[in-house]
Amino acid sequence: MRVSINWLRQYVEINESPDELADMLSMLGLEAEVPEKQHFSGIVVGLVIKAEKHPNADRLKLCIVSDGEEEFQVVCGAPNVDAGQKVPFAKVGAVLGDDFIITRAKIRGEHSDGMICSESELGLSDNQEGIMVLDDKAKPGTDFNDYFTDQDYLEIDLTPNRPDCMSHFGVARDIAAKTGRKLNQIIYKEKEFKSNDVEKMLTINIEDPDSCPRYVAGVVKNIHIGPSPDWMKAALESAGQRSINNIVDISNYVLLEMGHPTHIFDYDKIPSKTISIRKAKKGESFKTLDELDRTLTDQLLITDGEHPIAIAGVMGGYDSAVSESSNNVLIESAYFDPITIRLGAKSLNMTTDASKRFERGADPDGAMNAYWRVVELLEDLAGGEWVPGIIDAYPKKIVQKSITLTRRKVDILAGVDLSDDFIKDTLSSLEIVIDETGDGTWTCMPPTFRPDLEREVDLIEELCRMVGYDHIPASFHYKGLYDPGDIDPEDGITNITAVLSGLGFNQCYLNSLTDEKTSNLMGNNNAIPMINPLSSAMSHLRTSLFPGLLQTLNHNIHSGFSHLRLFEIGNIYYRDTEYTEQLQLAGIIHGEMQSENIHGEAFPHSFYTLKSYISGFFANLNLPELSFKTNKYDHYEYGVSIRYNESEIGYCGKLDHSILTELDIDAKNVFGFQIDLKQIIQAMNQSIKYESIIPFPKVERDLNFVMNEDIEAEDVILSIKNAGGANFQSAFPKNIFRHESLGENKKSITFNIIFQSPSKTLEEAEINSVINDITATIEKDFSAKLRDQ
Amino acid sequence: MSILESIESVRNSFRADIDSFPTDPREIESLRTKYFGRKGLLAGLYSTLAELSISEKPAAGQQINSLKNELQGEFDSQTSYSKTDEKGNQELLDLSLPGLPFKSGSVHPLQQTLDEIKSIFKSVGFKVAYGPEIEDDYHNFEALNIPKHHPARDMQDTFFITDNMVLRTHTSNVQIHLMENREPPLRYVVPGRVYRNEAVSYKSYCLFHQIEGLYVDKHVSMADLKGIIDYFVKRFFGENTRMRFRPSYFPFTEPSAEVDIWDEKRGKWMEILGCGMVDPNVFDNIGYDSSVWHGYAFGMGIERMTMLKFGIDDIRLFYQNDVRFLEQF
Repeated sequence: MRVSINWLRQYVEINESPDELADMLSMLGLEAEVPEKQHFSGIVVGLVIKAEKHPNADRLKLCIVSDGEEEFQVVCGAPNVDAGQKVPFAKVGAVLGDDFIITRAKIRGEHSDGMICSESELGLSDNQEGIMVLDDKAKPGTDFNDYFTDQDYLEIDLTPNRPDCMSHFGVARDIAAKTGRKLNQIIYKEKEFKSNDVEKMLTINIEDPDSCPRYVAGVVKNIHIGPSPDWMKAALESAGQRSINNIVDISNYVLLEMGHPTHIFDYDKIPSKTISIRKAKKGESFKTLDELDRTLTDQLLITDGEHPIAIAGVMGGYDSAVSESSNNVLIESAYFDPITIRLGAKSLNMTTDASKRFERGADPDGAMNAYWRVVELLEDLAGGEWVPGIIDAYPKKIVQKSITLTRRKVDILAGVDLSDDFIKDTLSSLEIVIDETGDGTWTCMPPTFRPDLEREVDLIEELCRMVGYDHIPASFHYKGLYDPGDIDPEDGITNITAVLSGLGFNQCYLNSLTDEKTSNLMGNNNAIPMINPLSSAMSHLRTSLFPGLLQTLNHNIHSGFSHLRLFEIGNIYYRDTEYTEQLQLAGIIHGEMQSENIHGEAFPHSFYTLKSYISGFFANLNLPELSFKTNKYDHYEYGVSIRYNESEIGYCGKLDHSILTELDIDAKNVFGFQIDLKQIIQAMNQSIKYESIIPFPKVERDLNFVMNEDIEAEDVILSIKNAGGANFQSAFPKNIFRHESLGENKKSITFNIIFQSPSKTLEEAEINSVINDITATIEKDFSAKLRDQ
Repeated sequence: MSILESIESVRNSFRADIDSFPTDPREIESLRTKYFGRKGLLAGLYSTLAELSISEKPAAGQQINSLKNELQGEFDSQTSYSKTDEKGNQELLDLSLPGLPFKSGSVHPLQQTLDEIKSIFKSVGFKVAYGPEIEDDYHNFEALNIPKHHPARDMQDTFFITDNMVLRTHTSNVQIHLMENREPPLRYVVPGRVYRNEAVSYKSYCLFHQIEGLYVDKHVSMADLKGIIDYFVKRFFGENTRMRFRPSYFPFTEPSAEVDIWDEKRGKWMEILGCGMVDPNVFDNIGYDSSVWHGYAFGMGIERMTMLKFGIDDIRLFYQNDVRFLEQF
């Protein structure tokens, strides 16, 4: 919301600079900012003395502009330029924008010494509609920077709980309460009348009092439509609004001044002389002021008894709008139910200045004030004749509730000493009626314009706001809660990311929203869609971390970085019987583990480098019970399951080519792993058990077996272990050999086997006997043959 | 000469040679050949093994092995700035050459910030809790004093899964879960991913991460809230950081505040977090007695904190994961 500082000065004295005022308002909870200031170079206020058609161009005008001392001939293309206007005049040598220098020019044969500027040329707004017309009182020759300082305004970003500040008077009221300065009321007269004549001209019929608790109306006759006076144009402009005509401007002005929305109908276009307020019928259609045909559902309508003439609190109708030929007008100043207006505006996807105020809670008493203010302005500015009387249909009186404020609660919550006097003075300055009941208790009645004040804490916030949050001390005390439970269930992640980063992996954070195709590609057709996605590319929750990682790989390959190790820790989502979120760790590797260098050849990534990372990862985390098992798994060309303590916790292998193709990834060999992170974190929580170091020597033996190609080393090792007796320590494949001399489909693997006893040095004979057992077992289990050494 | 005597004699000969270790590479090479060459003294010892009986062999073998290791170790230590290849040829070293390429990884800046923030709060007695991203309307809105059709719902554009299920718009849903399952007093921080249905730009993304704090006890004041935030801001941004509290509005806190820190470079206040005293309606909703229990809550965006700390000006960089970005952290 744009607030003009000059306008505020009508109600309260302001000595602060715009920056100081913005700070003060921000500290009051009205977040204010001074828009960035432009500096104008060589631009002055000019007076257009003459504006005539250019002799050689139909669309151009030849103007004479005075800067108070000299006169300049200027060619201008704006349709709205006219003699008598005060305008921003860029003289020869002026600079517009960053580097546009105004020079003497010849346009269609006529010389032009300078330029009359539009708002957009000055960088003040996007408005390109013709030149900017300045306040009539501006003095020609005044430096535009000086002219502009008088036009200072603030942008205020209001929180939804403060509808009372959606006007200049409302903002001024808060400033007055904070500073103790006098608040000047808006001056207008509530007229007296002997007979309520307007009742003969109008019937109000509220069919839905819950939605429309109050409807104030009246009529002003014989108005003259025309331009608004300069002071009103300037006021509207200072708050960022354009003047339209005196009638429309009056309604807009009162809104910006008092904050209460009003609507002015053409009385003669409501021949029924009846206003009926009801909910729309489904499918009913209606043309609003902006000339759009709206199909209605159940919005609250103002009707003439039959047909709608306005969407209550949102926008008036096209057919009942005031026009050049209007003669008599009907003033509406109502109070509508916030939720009704909000639902209505939302269902039509409309947000208007009026709807914003009503849906946050307008002032039911403000309806009456705004009515009188509009009447007075219609008389003063449009020459209208008020029809004596007023219709105040108020079937459902809005009653403010009184609030009990206690010293105890103030002391607990505020954290700063607030005296009784401060409490009474502050609440009074906010127009809260306060009654002391003794025992440190007050009964408080908030004003009707503060719908946000409902409870004791709301008043305590007012007290804190007014004493200033900067006056509340920062009290730091560390009183421990004794609670030995789990401090952080995901503590292990810090260690996990450190280990993976040490292994050369870059951690990624990826979007968990993806498209339908991708979510189904990796999922089980159980991806979770959104009702209102941002786009079709982000319509579903991801079912796998791989697509994001692969797309990241692709992005980096395209920037010239293709040797990558990436991982992510994040949730995947799917729906089975209920919505499930599962914390996963996934990673991919691509390209070379080590690139070609001065010391040697490149070493490409493979399934085995992947496996080494996984083993290294578990070893670094001190998780010894890792094993792998060959397995088939969706989305992998080949791979093995990752097991911990004999239960499957993940999978790793070469990612299937079809996924890379589907996702358009410019890579062929990508190896990946995915692990259920919760299980790793759980394993990490198990404490380490120390095993004593064996002082007796190890004995190593190598056994070389020839076996069928399809036998897996891991299975052989398991058999060796089973046959290896009590002193078996480990078996490790150390060499693999394939040659036709071994026979078709055969390979030979050398296993390095280690024995060690915790209690003695092993004897040669003991070892030999175990070796014989192992040999026999392997030969039998795998139809293998011990190969001659 | 017995085998053991032969071993001893080789050892003595080597000792003598090593005492006057040569400097000329060719002499070093000939010394190497003398002991370790194919026809060197050690090879000679090994060849005598064949003449021994089966029972003598293992012990002698072991002796020769250990001699070889001993000699090799001493020889290598004398020649530690040189290296020989398998054929025994001397290789010349250029010590200025780079080592083998080593690929270093990185921890994502958001993870680093999250870890740091968690550890600051853990150091003053906060525990950490987590909660669901897919949430029902009650926990995300209703219980937090954001009724249906309340204008405050406009503050957070929401992704809907069904009419009643949403992608949480803040981590505050976990406040409700915590209080539903635990008796006060409480002191928790809650990190997590949250979603907003907003167009993606340099300053907003459709999802981001928050960390939320909740403290519930009998006597808790605005001054306590200021104290913890002040402590946090100074630890995270530095001791001389200027900070201000200003009134704001959140449906689930009253009074509410927003916290700004002064950005010297931009010359303006930058908003870093929202906070306030837990609204009594929230306590009423979950069944804590609001006349007895008080509390504060705060929430901040991890992306925003990271951007301010590292001077990052585009939130999308976090989700693009360009390695040239990641490797700076």
